Amino acid sequence: MNFSFSSDQQLLKNSARAFLDEHMKPATVRLLWDDPRGESEALWKEMGELGWLGLSLPEAHGGSGLGMVETAILLEEMGHAALPGPYLPTVLAARAIEEAGTNAQRMRWLSAIATGEARATLALLDADLDWRPEGTRTRAEKSATGWTLSGTKRFVPWAHVADVLLVPARTPDGLTLFLVDPAAAGLTLEPAQVMDGATRLVTVTLDATPVGGDGVLGAAGQAGPLLASLLRRGAVGAAAEMLGAARRCLDMAVGYAKVREQFGQPIGSFQAIRHKCAEMLLEVENSHAAVYYSAWALDARAEDAELAASVAKAYVGDAARRVCGEAIQVHGGIGFTWEYDLHLYFKRAKALEAMYGDADHHRELIVRRVAA
Amino acid sequence: MDLTYSPEDRAFREKARRWLEANVPTDDLKTLDERKAWHRKLYEAGYVGVLWPKEYGGWGASPMQQAIVQDEMARVNAPPAINGLGIGFIGPTIIVHGTDWQKGRYLKKMLTAEEIWCQLYSEPNAGSDLASLKTRAEDRGDHFLVNGQKIWTSSGPIADWGILLARTDSKAPKHKGISCFLLNMRQPGVEVRPLKQITGSSLFSEVFMTDARAERRDLIGTLNQGWEIAQTTLGFERGSNSLGRVTRYAIAFSQLVRAAKELRRGGRPLIEDPVVRAKLGKIYAELEVQRYAGLRVLSALNRGESPGAASSITKLSYTEFEKRYYEAALEILGPWGQLVTAPEEFEEIDTSSGEPGTWATAFLWSRAGTIYSGSSEIQKNIIGERVLGLPKEVRADRLKA
Repeated sequence: MNFSFSSDQQLLKNSARAFLDEHMKPATVRLLWDDPRGESEALWKEMGELGWLGLSLPEAHGGSGLGMVETAILLEEMGHAALPGPYLPTVLAARAIEEAGTNAQRMRWLSAIATGEARATLALLDADLDWRPEGTRTRAEKSATGWTLSGTKRFVPWAHVADVLLVPARTPDGLTLFLVDPAAAGLTLEPAQVMDGATRLVTVTLDATPVGGDGVLGAAGQAGPLLASLLRRGAVGAAAEMLGAARRCLDMAVGYAKVREQFGQPIGSFQAIRHKCAEMLLEVENSHAAVYYSAWALDARAEDAELAASVAKAYVGDAARRVCGEAIQVHGGIGFTWEYDLHLYFKRAKALEAMYGDADHHRELIVRRVAA
Repeated sequence: MDLTYSPEDRAFREKARRWLEANVPTDDLKTLDERKAWHRKLYEAGYVGVLWPKEYGGWGASPMQQAIVQDEMARVNAPPAINGLGIGFIGPTIIVHGTDWQKGRYLKKMLTAEEIWCQLYSEPNAGSDLASLKTRAEDRGDHFLVNGQKIWTSSGPIADWGILLARTDSKAPKHKGISCFLLNMRQPGVEVRPLKQITGSSLFSEVFMTDARAERRDLIGTLNQGWEIAQTTLGFERGSNSLGRVTRYAIAFSQLVRAAKELRRGGRPLIEDPVVRAKLGKIYAELEVQRYAGLRVLSALNRGESPGAASSITKLSYTEFEKRYYEAALEILGPWGQLVTAPEEFEEIDTSSGEPGTWATAFLWSRAGTIYSGSSEIQKNIIGERVLGLPKEVRADRLKA
């Protein structure tokens, strides 16, 4: 039993921190917030060269064959940097293609994703915002050449830069996952503006959008388990990113409390501030335990892996919101200004709280599992 | 990172499970003699003194194995060993700071519960500010004369010996004038009065010392080194009970779920109420996080890393969680949760105090954890100063010192 990172894992963490400290300074994050595309294409290429995009893909497809623990290590650092871009949806989609795809689908997408040539995303939510796969309302009908999809997908991350969308839809056979070309006929993209500039969410409307017969991912009618597995990985991944944002906010708050003076003393000497910082550290450390336990459980196919993913998302979502919010409180007025960088991380954590199932959704999953 | 148990630890757990299933008492242990007998049986089987070095009569096993024993005992709701404070922290203090004579005289009898130990630290006016304690020990050559009052002493009425902090130099700064003694509780100058707590039971006592004798050979460390000794051992072995604690919470949780299925409100079982479900989900998520965090601490302990001040995070985390847990349980159960004798519908639950009881008992007990062994506020001071490196607060006693 060893809860610490291996030396390779620690090396990955250190190099990711160093790379993002250099290439994703707060000023760079701000530039991307104002950029219509919202992510850096050059940086994406570099992430491909560093092996980050193929981290958990098989070596045969240009990947490194690593697991969810390593992915979570990277995502924590990305959250720590408030890195804008489609990393999480892309690696989740790649994982699904790797797991369920035909040989042709794998050849088409995996190497392209690993090298940074292609981006992918997941259109999991319909208009009624039900995270359960069975809540899918979008429909797919058989056509002469394959399928036509109709429906509205809401809050699709980074669809405007994606080369392929994973779209679940109902068919007469049941729930089916489709690989959809965003340039296909009848498909429109409508980006929405959200408070976190590092999050880009798009409404995707499908109006009899054609998908070829080779666009079905996995067995038709059998997408439920694959989608549930994607959501679990998404939940753990988002938790890791929120952990990074929370750690950054804690560090900023503690740093500030050591130098900011009021009443002739550093404010960190006051118990009102010190106790707040101690409570924040407690939640960050518990979040660390939750993120890496759940990531390990997925890699090890532990019997409580599904439970742990929900535990991590529910716990870390609440904890990160509190920690980042309390960091603003410790800073006082300066923490409420646009110029001060704290809100980049505060908003990053808040945005992820709602994705891949919010805390309420995961608490219900937990109860179904333990109170059945 | 690898959270699988080693083959040795799995075998150790298997063996402990089989032994406990075969040996755990079926009836409540009523008398002290029965509890001592159970303690000795546990000791002889290798399940008490797990962490103690073999040369002092222990089993020289790992923190992980110690945690496994606690976990397996929780699983079958086994009565605890009797000399918890002695074995958990007074014995280790003697091992680290004691003389050879002290080790030879006290350790084995502590381990076998032939002699029961208690702790004489807190005073009515020295709680969080423990170093302001006023109990005096005057040097009389071959012994010290002890006068003063202690409070919050566990096992007071059954204790044969106590570890005592007393002032031996009233002119020195307060942290520098305290010494640490082993005090015979069975002497005329020591009077123990049980203290009735908000639970209605009396697990703690007040102890009055009037011209009591502490022998010079029972001084631990050097004169006026007491505070330093208390500091180095307060956090000893925090963490090795983490698995057992969470298993107890989890067993209580399944009892709560059972109750929520049986009890009805508004024509349906409580478990079908979305508000109840949300509360259960939140509490269970926190409970699991306690387990993950416990494994993290345990894996560090097992590699020989000392958590140091970070053990304050563990203590703060589980004691505050325990309050939220039982608060949520009582909210879910409504008036049923307030019964202090178990109705037929409910079994007794493990209250995390060593006493079985109802949800109400557990709820009341949960108020103790955030006060004893350094209150939550003290833990947050320690975390702030020693883990986060925040500046020390300006305090009147520091200005004087």
